[in-house]
Amino acid sequence: MSSIRSRLVVIFIVTLTLVGGGGGLAFDAFQNYAHFNNELDFSYQITDQLQTLNHRRLTEEQSLWLKETLSKVHQPERHQILKDLEAAYANRASRTAQSRIDFFLRNEAEYRNFLRSSISYYEERLVYWGLLALGSAVLVVLFTLAFLQIAVFSELKSLSRKMVDFLHHRYTYQFSLPPPTEVGHLQATFNSMAQRVLVQMQELQALDKAKSDFLSIASHELRTPLTSIKGSLSLLRAGVVGELNEASNNLMEIAENETDRLIRLINDLLDLAKIEARKLPLSPQWEPLAELVESTFQALQGLAETSKVTLQLKDPTPMEVYMDRDRIQQVLTNLVSNAIKYSPEKGTVTVSFDVNPQEEIVISVTDQGQGIAPEDQELIFQKFRQATGPKNPLVKGTGLGLAIARALVEEHQGHIDVKSSPGQGCSFFFTLPKWRFSLKTHSQMDQAA
Amino acid sequence: MKILLAEDDKNIATIAKLALEQFGSHQVDHASDGQIALEMALSGDYDLILLDEMMPKLNGLSVCHQYKVQSPSPSPIIFLSAKSQEADLDEFRRCSMGFITKPFDPLKICSQIASILDAGRAAA
Repeated sequence: MSSIRSRLVVIFIVTLTLVGGGGGLAFDAFQNYAHFNNELDFSYQITDQLQTLNHRRLTEEQSLWLKETLSKVHQPERHQILKDLEAAYANRASRTAQSRIDFFLRNEAEYRNFLRSSISYYEERLVYWGLLALGSAVLVVLFTLAFLQIAVFSELKSLSRKMVDFLHHRYTYQFSLPPPTEVGHLQATFNSMAQRVLVQMQELQALDKAKSDFLSIASHELRTPLTSIKGSLSLLRAGVVGELNEASNNLMEIAENETDRLIRLINDLLDLAKIEARKLPLSPQWEPLAELVESTFQALQGLAETSKVTLQLKDPTPMEVYMDRDRIQQVLTNLVSNAIKYSPEKGTVTVSFDVNPQEEIVISVTDQGQGIAPEDQELIFQKFRQATGPKNPLVKGTGLGLAIARALVEEHQGHIDVKSSPGQGCSFFFTLPKWRFSLKTHSQMDQAA
Repeated sequence: MKILLAEDDKNIATIAKLALEQFGSHQVDHASDGQIALEMALSGDYDLILLDEMMPKLNGLSVCHQYKVQSPSPSPIIFLSAKSQEADLDEFRRCSMGFITKPFDPLKICSQIASILDAGRAAA
């Protein structure tokens, strides 16, 4: 048994013995000291009173005092003398009374000497045992504190330091043999936990490397044959080996379009895998938001014209957002091209900015399409999912656009969501936490003023 | 232009060669791995070297570094690569004129090469 608790119990028993024993003896000495002091006072009182007595007769008061004193004096010799004195007064034997008084006074002087020596003896004992009890109490307190410091506090401190290291991803963990105490047990448990975490971390690192390797192999191995297929088709369609007839050209076009789709799908999948594996480092900077929207619109102008949809940027408040321009453009492109695809002819797709109560900037892309049923609104952000229904025919796409958009927005510490009711169009919006009003505009305003 | 095309994938090499000859009227020599590409680049007199990044024996970046050290007057180099991670692209930018990502469009490859070379000349 070497636990901290059992040691504290031993310390407690020793304390009790020392303080209790010393204290008890000191208390005993004090009681005797007080008793002999009272006796001494009493002896002086009797002496004083006896000296005032007349040996011939007693007053009523003096007779009462004598009776009372008799009851208080228990030593047989002193008691006998006073009893004889009372009897002498009763027999009016004044000579006997005087001799009894004188005898008592002589005897009392000796008795007081005895009392004084007793008092000084018990005084010494009181000081001796009292100091011993007090000293041992102080020693025990100091010893307990030292013991707690060594066995508990310093151990806990070193353990918590190790935990903080873990918390801050510093894994230079020193395994030491824990002491066989409760704190040691805690440390041993933490050691096993730490060991398991370290092992799992190595496994995770291996997995992470495997994933990276897979990504790089997949991008190479999938893209290489596609490059050949796509290239051959392009060259054939361009008439490099001679003009094609219309049927061949149509078939070639189908093959080329589907190859394009496959390339897009692979690019999207690899992008998503990279974002999820956090292999896509962001390089954020302060960028003007309206310009980003304009350039997205420009890139999608062709698609919008084919679909007869108008693109509109509402109230372009000049502001700058801290973001990775290319990645947020990817998000916007996904949202705007979706909005175009689901818009009716002559519809309008509107992009607008706002600031929400959490002081984040909210960028919304609103269309006038069929809208999305509430039960589909979470689903569409998952991989390979589209909201389909009688009024929503499957639209061409990989089903990865929104999943990528969500991953990219979350990588920017924002969130993405949709507000819609069927038949009312829908509004996709995402938030970005770091933004400011454009400084450029302030200087422009200054110039205007 | 006389172009050295270093590309280990035979199909892609055929397509690229055909496109370069047809649309740009370039003269194209083909090297099928990094080692051969380095030897040909050092011995031949090319106006441009198109380097695939992933090649057997010697990868594109090694060919590029060794060529620039060993050649008295190195020709411009453009990478052809399926890699799209920023770190890789930065590496390409550091040691060459530029890069064309795979899958490339054979109809556009000539104009891509021309614009990279123009940008390189403008920078120089």
